[in-house]
Amino acid sequence: MKLRNPPVNSLSLELLTEFVISLEKLENDKTFRGVILTSDRPGIFSAGLDLTEMCGKNPAHYAEYWKAVQELWLRLYPSNLVLVAAINGASPAGGCLMSLICDYRILADNPKYVIGLNETLLGIIAPFWFKDTLVNTIGHRASERALQLGLLFPPAEALQVGMVDQVVPEDQVQSTALSMMSQWMAIPDYARQLTKIMMRKPTVDHMIKQREADLQNFISFISRDSIQKSLQMYLEKLKQKKG
Amino acid sequence: MALAAGRRVTARALLYAGAWLGRTQAMAGGGDGARRFANHRVLVEPDAATGVAVMKLRNPPVNSLSLELLTEFVISLEKLENDKTFRGVILTSDRPGIFSAGLDLTEMCGKNPAHYAEYWKAVQELWLRLYPSNLVLVAAINGASPAGGCLMSLICDYRILADNPKYVIGLNETLLGIIAPFWFKDTLVNTIGHRASERALQLGLLFPPAEALQVGMVDQVVPEDQVQSTALSMMSQWMAIPDYARQLTKIMMRKPTVDHMIKQREADLQNFISFISRDSIQKSLQMYLEKLKQKKG
Repeated sequence: MKLRNPPVNSLSLELLTEFVISLEKLENDKTFRGVILTSDRPGIFSAGLDLTEMCGKNPAHYAEYWKAVQELWLRLYPSNLVLVAAINGASPAGGCLMSLICDYRILADNPKYVIGLNETLLGIIAPFWFKDTLVNTIGHRASERALQLGLLFPPAEALQVGMVDQVVPEDQVQSTALSMMSQWMAIPDYARQLTKIMMRKPTVDHMIKQREADLQNFISFISRDSIQKSLQMYLEKLKQKKG
Repeated sequence: MALAAGRRVTARALLYAGAWLGRTQAMAGGGDGARRFANHRVLVEPDAATGVAVMKLRNPPVNSLSLELLTEFVISLEKLENDKTFRGVILTSDRPGIFSAGLDLTEMCGKNPAHYAEYWKAVQELWLRLYPSNLVLVAAINGASPAGGCLMSLICDYRILADNPKYVIGLNETLLGIIAPFWFKDTLVNTIGHRASERALQLGLLFPPAEALQVGMVDQVVPEDQVQSTALSMMSQWMAIPDYARQLTKIMMRKPTVDHMIKQREADLQNFISFISRDSIQKSLQMYLEKLKQKKG
């Protein structure tokens, strides 16, 4: 599955919706047992949530968008498929989340390809279920530091902290993903799936319980003047970088 | 639960393990049997001077955790816990090469639901007594330890593994087409963390010593002839701590995991019985036992 939303594969409402539909199709087709998640354009895996969906809109739109973000995580995190992330570009914030959701992460050995949950750098906060996904991956202490400082890890550090499982030369990312996939697919499906659910269910259940509250929190938080201002400023900065 | 690839098991040994069932039930019947320090499948070598007892698993050929061994183990442990002379236990195998191959498959195969219930209750009981034990437990891992054998070592406070590439350790249930219970998973997560457990459990990984150390499955890897002495010296470091402080701290750490299991104990038992009784699972296990017999022959 290749993310293709130029210029930076931001997770727009359209992309999120298409992704969930495609995933469902694959899950319902018994032919398919695994998915390699990657980017259609090397250099950027995904820049994360689409800021234009969270800026200068009305609460109804914020609600629709956030529900789609929640839905993606709720479908993907406990997925029956084996998910291998072939990270062939930078992956801040939501891009990092997409890769953390997978069962295994391979990152190209390119110092520009940083990965991390950097929400605080934008003056916003990662939802608790982003945090839970991170803690499940790199542990509590490392998450405290990474999340508060909004750290973006280059490959060597990403491997060392456990954000990714393997770092390989850029031209080996896809082939490594394929061979890793066969190791995972060698395990009887039902045993692997039941084990995966056993491991991830508490985290998923916790989110489901708080889903509505999380949605309301997001809407009121993102609607705040100060937050809207923060996001506008950030978008301006990006436009200027570009121009 | 699972025997490591390459382990040779005699068909007779597997049948032999099953035949002891009758003996176990008679022994547990009470009277004189209950007073004897059961030491058929679990050798206990107490040293009152040091306050350390060495408990050696002895159930040839592969120290599988039969109903008999589990029962003896819990009885022996209880005796040691009630004797204030003893503050620590070194858990090891009577035969180098195999620490324990794990749960006895012959107890889970071709029996009736009542037997599966009796067996699983004994497995649960072992964990419930051992995991929060007041004693210092050091695992001196002198052989391969897949599945239940790995669990025995994870239960301990400290793990020393012999530096022998054949001595793999891990929870490899998925390789047999079965699933580790949630409290096996919790014990593993408490040891190596969530992410490493996700990978290790789903892939049924068996780690050789260097990798076991790196992932945190064991705390130390030493030359084979230094395992027992290292266990003893590590034991004195742990026993240098005032007992009540150490024990309260251990309970504080492990209580949530234990309480969670206690809450789900009955449901876990029912889950096991229905899961293991399934035709497909019985078939899986039969095939695995056949494969082992053939390897031998």
